[in-house]
Amino acid sequence: MKKSDENNQTAAVSSNGVLSVKGLTKRFGSNVVLDNISLTIEKGKTTVVIGPSGCGKTVLIKHFIVLLRPSSGEVYFKNQRIDNLSENELNKIRTHYGFLFQGGALFDSLSVFDNIIFPIRQHYKITDWGLVEELVKAKLAMVGLDGFQNYYPANLSGGQRKRVALARAIALNPEVILYDEPTTGLDPIRADVINELVLKLQKELGVTTIVVTHDMTSAYKIADRIIMLHNGKIIADGDAEHIRNHPHPVVQQFITGQVSEDDLAVLRMSGTISQAQFLPRDFEK
Amino acid sequence: MIELVGAKTVRGVGNIGQFARFVLQAFTASLRSFARSQTYPLIWTQMLLIGVRSVPVIMVTGAFVGMTLAVQAYDQLAGMGLEEHLGVLINISVVKELGPVLAAVMLAGRVGGALTAELGTMNVTEQIDAVKSMGTDPVFYLVAPRVLACLLLTPFLIIYADLLGILGGYFVSVIQLGINNRAYWTFSAAGVELWDVAVGVVKGFFFGGAIAAISCYKGFTCKEGAHGVGQACTEAFVASFISILALDFALAVIFKAIYNTFWPFKSLVG
Repeated sequence: MKKSDENNQTAAVSSNGVLSVKGLTKRFGSNVVLDNISLTIEKGKTTVVIGPSGCGKTVLIKHFIVLLRPSSGEVYFKNQRIDNLSENELNKIRTHYGFLFQGGALFDSLSVFDNIIFPIRQHYKITDWGLVEELVKAKLAMVGLDGFQNYYPANLSGGQRKRVALARAIALNPEVILYDEPTTGLDPIRADVINELVLKLQKELGVTTIVVTHDMTSAYKIADRIIMLHNGKIIADGDAEHIRNHPHPVVQQFITGQVSEDDLAVLRMSGTISQAQFLPRDFEK
Repeated sequence: MIELVGAKTVRGVGNIGQFARFVLQAFTASLRSFARSQTYPLIWTQMLLIGVRSVPVIMVTGAFVGMTLAVQAYDQLAGMGLEEHLGVLINISVVKELGPVLAAVMLAGRVGGALTAELGTMNVTEQIDAVKSMGTDPVFYLVAPRVLACLLLTPFLIIYADLLGILGGYFVSVIQLGINNRAYWTFSAAGVELWDVAVGVVKGFFFGGAIAAISCYKGFTCKEGAHGVGQACTEAFVASFISILALDFALAVIFKAIYNTFWPFKSLVG
C-alpha cells in the first residue's frame, strides 16, 4: 500500500467522523472477507467503496448499520460504539440511517405509498393522514416518481424500483444513507439518473453518503473520497484524482477494466473455442 | 469419522439453541403485539389468510375422516351386534385424536408451506434486512402476527374439523348404513364427554404454535436461491409434521394424567 493511503486511514480513524470501524474483521467459516479494516467516514461527504465482485464491499457497508456483526473489531456511530448493542437498542440507532439495497428490497405485498410510509408507521403514530400523503408526495417528487403512489413493485421497472426504494430510505430524514450497488443492472441513462439523485440528496439534505459500486463512471461522478477493497483489505484511499493516478497494479487494472495477464494465461490454457468438445448433432441416437 | 460426527453434533446443538432463541423471541413479540394497537391490522390480515381461508379444506378433511371411520368400523361392530355403538367410536376418535391431528397436518401443508415460502423469499431478496435497516424488529413485524393467528385460530379450525367429522360419521352410519338414529346419538352422548372435546381443542394451541414457529424459523434461516426456498419449505413441513405427532403423544400422556388425577373429584363439581 502507498504511504499516503496508510496516512489517510490512520488520520481518518483519529478524526471526528460520523461513522467509523476499527480493526474490523469478518469471517464466514474459514473465509476471511474483511481483514482488520480501520476507516472513518466524514460527515456530509460522499464516500465510494469500490472493488471487484465478492471482495467484501456489501459486507463492509452492512457493518456500518450492524446488519452484520463483526468477528472482531468495533463499529462506531457518532463516537458511540454500536456493534455490541442489543437489537432493540440498535433499532433506535438505525432510524438515523437510510439503506438502499441492491435489488431495492421493496415489500412486494405493499403499494409504493405503503412502502414509503412503512418506516414512518413503525416509529410514529399517524394521526394526520393528509400530512402523510403530502410527505409521500414530496419524497416521490424528489426521486421523480410522483403519481406512482398506487403502483405495486411488480408493476415498476428496475430503475423505478430503486428510486422508490430511495424514497423509502429517506422517509425518516436520515443523517447517513448507504447505497449498495445503486446503478447495477441499469442502462447508462437510468444509472446517471441515480447518480444525479445521490448528488441531489447529498446537496439538499446534507447527508453523509456511502456508496458501494464497481461502476467507475458513477464513482468518479459522485465521490468525494474513493476507497478500494482487495482481498479484504483497503489498498487505495483518496479522492478521484488520487485513485486515477494510483500506482498499485490492481487499482489500475480495476479502474481501467482490463483483464490481467494471469487471467489471460488461464484462458489460453483452456484452448480455443473451435477445439471445445461439443455434443455431436446426432447425440439423441 | 469421529470428527465428522462431532462437527454434526455441535452444529445440531447450535441449531436447536438458535431455534429455541427464535421461539422465545417470537412468543415475547407476540405478547407485546397485544399491547400495540398498530399491530392489530397485521394480525387481522394473517387471521384471514391463515384461519378463514383454511376453513373449507379443514371441513373437507374432517368430513372424510368421519365417513372413513364409519365405513371401516361398521363391519367389526356389526359382527358383534354392536353397530349402534358406532357413534361412540367415531366421535371419540374424531374429537380427541384424528380431527385435531389431521386438521393440524393439513394446516402444516397449507399454511406452514406458504409462511416458509413467503418469509424465505423475503429473506433472500433482502426484505427482512430492509425491515431491520428501518429500525423495526422483523420478528415483531413479520413473525408475531403469524404466530398469533396460528395460535388463536387453530383451535377454532379443529372445532370445524370435529363438527364435520361428526356429521360425516352420522351421514354414513345412519343415512347410508341404516343404524338407528336415536341409538346412534344416545350412545355417542353417553360415551363422549366434554373433556374429550376440550382435549382436542386445547391441542390446537400447541399444534398452531408449533406450525407457526417452525415455518417462520425455516423462512428466516433459508438459504439463497429458488432451491434454498424449496428446501426450507420441505424441511418446514417435515419438521411440523413430526412435531405434531410428538406433541400429540406428549399431550395425550399429560392429559391422561390430569384426567386420572382429577376424575375422582368430578362428582364434587358435577
